[in-house]
Amino acid sequence: MSIEVKDLSFRYGKIVALDGVTMKLGEGAVGLLGPNGAGKSTLLRILLGFLVPERGEGKVLDYDIRRDQAMIRRSVGYMPESDCFIAGMDAVTFTAYFGELSGMPRQEAMKRAHEVLFYVGLGEARYRLLDTYSAGMKQRLKLAQALVHDPKILFLDEPTSNLDPNGRNEVLELIRDISSNKSIQVLLSSHILADIESICQSVVILNKGRLAAEGRMADLRAINYSLFELRLKGDGEAFRSDLESRGCRVDEMEDKLIKVYMPEKSDRMDIFRAASRTGVQIRYFVKSRTSLEDLFAGVVGVD
Amino acid sequence: MATIREKGYSHWDGKLTERRFPWWPITRTGILLAFRKKRFKFVFAGSFVPAVVFLVGLYISERLEDFKAFLQGSDRLLNIDPNYFKTYFTNDSLLFLIVLVLGFAAAGLIADDLKHNSLQLYFSRPLRKKDYLLGKMSVIFFFVLILTAVPGLVLLIFKLIFVGSFKFFLDYPWLPLSILGYSALLTVFFAFYVLFLSSLSKNTRYVTILVFMIYIFSDILFGILSGIFHEPAMALFSIKANLQQAGAFLFGQKLPFAVPAGWSFLILAGICVLSAAVLNRKIRSVEVIK
Repeated sequence: MSIEVKDLSFRYGKIVALDGVTMKLGEGAVGLLGPNGAGKSTLLRILLGFLVPERGEGKVLDYDIRRDQAMIRRSVGYMPESDCFIAGMDAVTFTAYFGELSGMPRQEAMKRAHEVLFYVGLGEARYRLLDTYSAGMKQRLKLAQALVHDPKILFLDEPTSNLDPNGRNEVLELIRDISSNKSIQVLLSSHILADIESICQSVVILNKGRLAAEGRMADLRAINYSLFELRLKGDGEAFRSDLESRGCRVDEMEDKLIKVYMPEKSDRMDIFRAASRTGVQIRYFVKSRTSLEDLFAGVVGVD
Repeated sequence: MATIREKGYSHWDGKLTERRFPWWPITRTGILLAFRKKRFKFVFAGSFVPAVVFLVGLYISERLEDFKAFLQGSDRLLNIDPNYFKTYFTNDSLLFLIVLVLGFAAAGLIADDLKHNSLQLYFSRPLRKKDYLLGKMSVIFFFVLILTAVPGLVLLIFKLIFVGSFKFFLDYPWLPLSILGYSALLTVFFAFYVLFLSSLSKNTRYVTILVFMIYIFSDILFGILSGIFHEPAMALFSIKANLQQAGAFLFGQKLPFAVPAGWSFLILAGICVLSAAVLNRKIRSVEVIK
């Protein structure tokens, strides 16, 4: 296991940010998902040693998060959520600087800075002052500084925030390349479901500081409930109430499509029985593959 | 913008090492960034004027034959003794020039990192808070020492060269220690003073103004209070006066104000302790909003 935490808890004053989180993360790209304020960034910061947990323990690459912070930081590349740079520097100096602070020899850091800047697509702009960089370029620069010392794990905190669709796709493609071909494990924290769905093999969902779900994406999709999509003719409200009284979750989309999330042990025939009872006709019925969005809605309880 | 992935990613085959002085890259970068500011280069060059003036004075004094026209009955133009060195170190212009240089070179040391959220980048590396602070302080050490200890020792060496004997050194063997001791005091004090102010704001301009204002205002306050109360103890309100008191004490000269020098040392030490406490609180890898 590359990351393992047990009963991890942290609070900012009276606000509980993490409450007894226990999880084990394996190889590959792992998504850290949750609504704003779920505790994703706090978890990353605790793993990096920025914050000291109130309770619990954890290990990153077998290094203890309380005792071996220097070793963890040497092995981890961190891309923070907020814009961060040093005014008056160019990209190559900036990237080499943080390589050197990670423990690389100065000349090696400079050589490596050129390489990673080319890799993230800033090769042509590497001598430009960072003050003149666009939001997308700053995002890539943050990725470059996280990669410069060739980390074993990358912590990416909202890597596609502030990006236009084009820039977002490019950064996602880059992260996919790193996680799948370069034997670097990626822990991707985001509240954008599509980003995680397109990159990660497994996911950890946090909600209100607690672990809401954890596991391989495929397994999580399969468990807990089945999703059916249908269209009706007749009184949808009564039908909806009937299904909800039997433990189903019913969502109506804008185009009148109805999504029914059925508990794992329920029978699909219950939907037809409910239709019969409430006098509605089912005009369209299909079993749908649950998306991460559905999973998220199921465990977090939000649309 | 260039297309993404102009080159493929390759692993680095080197080994990360634990640095003996992990703060050194921070210091080197801080000094280099200061010299990238055009105006700073002029200010920095100008700050050597007092050293040059004192060196010229020393030269004239020791080469009297060449400058007899300046003498009016006296056998010496200037008396080169520890007081001469004390005057160099504690004169208003040198202290002001140190503040000026630091206002340009060091006001943004922490303020810029706060403004651009770069503290989290520093602390995601194997750096401790003390490494970060030492790295930033060493930038100030560099600039203050280059304006104090270096010219002070150069003046002493030139004095020995011009005289052509070690008599001056044998007469005042403690003088190099005074030079180094007072330089160290100025360095440590200004390092805490400027970094403390730099940690209070995200705006470098405000910090620069604060660095000047507090230094100057404390002196104005001293002037006003001593005008009202006619008490030499009012000098303790002035940063400059406290530094001059400490300087006079370390060079073994008459104190400029009739107040025990220990009080000035205490006040300077108090400012340093307060600054250290604030820095310890303000420098965090993440901004925690409670």
